[in-house]
Amino acid sequence: MTYTFDFMAVRHGLGVLFDGLLVTLELTVAANVIGLTFGFGLALLVMHRWAVLRWPASLFVEFFRCTPAIIQIVWFFYCVPMLFDVYLDAMTMGILALACNLTAFNAEAYRAAIQAVPRDYRDAGIALGLNGWQRIRYIVLPTAFRAALPVLVSNGIGIFQQTALVAIVALQDLMYMGKSLATESYRPIETFTVVALIYFAVSFPVSQLASWFEHRRDRLAR
Amino acid sequence: MDYNFAFVLRYQDALLVGLKMTVLVSLASIAIGCLWGFVLGMARGSSLRWARALATVYIEFFRGTPVIVQLFWVFFCLPLLLGIELSNMASGIVALSLYMGAISAESFRAALKTISPDQHNACVALGLSRYAEIRYVLMPQAILRAIPTLLSNCVSLFKESALVSAVGMADLMFVGQNISNATARPVEVLTVVALIYFVIAFPLTRGVTVLERKVLKGLAV
Repeated sequence: MTYTFDFMAVRHGLGVLFDGLLVTLELTVAANVIGLTFGFGLALLVMHRWAVLRWPASLFVEFFRCTPAIIQIVWFFYCVPMLFDVYLDAMTMGILALACNLTAFNAEAYRAAIQAVPRDYRDAGIALGLNGWQRIRYIVLPTAFRAALPVLVSNGIGIFQQTALVAIVALQDLMYMGKSLATESYRPIETFTVVALIYFAVSFPVSQLASWFEHRRDRLAR
Repeated sequence: MDYNFAFVLRYQDALLVGLKMTVLVSLASIAIGCLWGFVLGMARGSSLRWARALATVYIEFFRGTPVIVQLFWVFFCLPLLLGIELSNMASGIVALSLYMGAISAESFRAALKTISPDQHNACVALGLSRYAEIRYVLMPQAILRAIPTLLSNCVSLFKESALVSAVGMADLMFVGQNISNATARPVEVLTVVALIYFVIAFPLTRGVTVLERKVLKGLAV
């Protein structure tokens, strides 16, 4: 191997990469806030007794789960402005596309957790005179949220990694900055290695957190 | 604005070529990735500390970074590092196989953990060699138990394969984007491409659930 490494080239670009990381984190947080809240609502719709509500919700979930994230993002950027005649800035579009994807995945996680809420809990809620909304708010939501937490966290990390795809539609996130830095400095190996390490440095601690949550949940369940 | 989905039919040959490429890349990466994943899964559960550490670092790294970064890394860096020319097809398959290895290693490790140590003792008592133990005792059980998660990994890989379009491989996604740019009709073309992916991935995910419930329960694994 004759290649000589020069990580100095990347050091000069670290500021740019950091700006990119901020965009990546902003996308991740926004998508997670939307995904965590709407995911629960969508899960309730998927399990609703009215087929009118159940069918569109299931279709939404299955569609976003069974198509590549990259086509969802490209689709949003090209088709939403044409179909609905709205022109949003790139950041909002990126957040919307990622949030829809995450909402679908989280809905699945919540659904499994809601189905695991013991029947007795709801019966107890009825016996205590709680109405349907109160039963969801005070019994189903907290129990299901705790049970679904490990999956929700790993879905959140998944979307952090998927944010790299918005570089393809020219949103200036970490991946985009890395790509342009690699082209400018002619140092792809060093740049992409550093970019990969930055992604890893963020997602690894969070994934450890997810397995800690899982461990704790299983221990408490015993 | 009016939409005309019928015109996409004119491009069905090009889309079919792209789809073939997508399927080919997915199948090749799944085959290589599963074998690699079994080796990694064994290393992860091995008693050798260095093998365990190496496998753990590898798996965590590939699961902790975006697939597109891995793809770019392989595409730009592997040729420079190894000093060989890699076609974009080869680098696409290499990158996806490395990723598939990391995610399927976890399924194999979980499956291997369910095989009780008594079986290992039984193999020792029967005088089986280490190879015979892996080949005839561990592997059949591990593969059978890992099948549900492995299959859903395969479906994910099929979806992730759309990323190879970013390094210029003419897969379904790439062909779709080109047609959409050339005809300036993204709504029709991209929707059809998304539907093609859906039509393949959806029955597969349903199939995995049915398989898990019916077939594997029947085998009592």
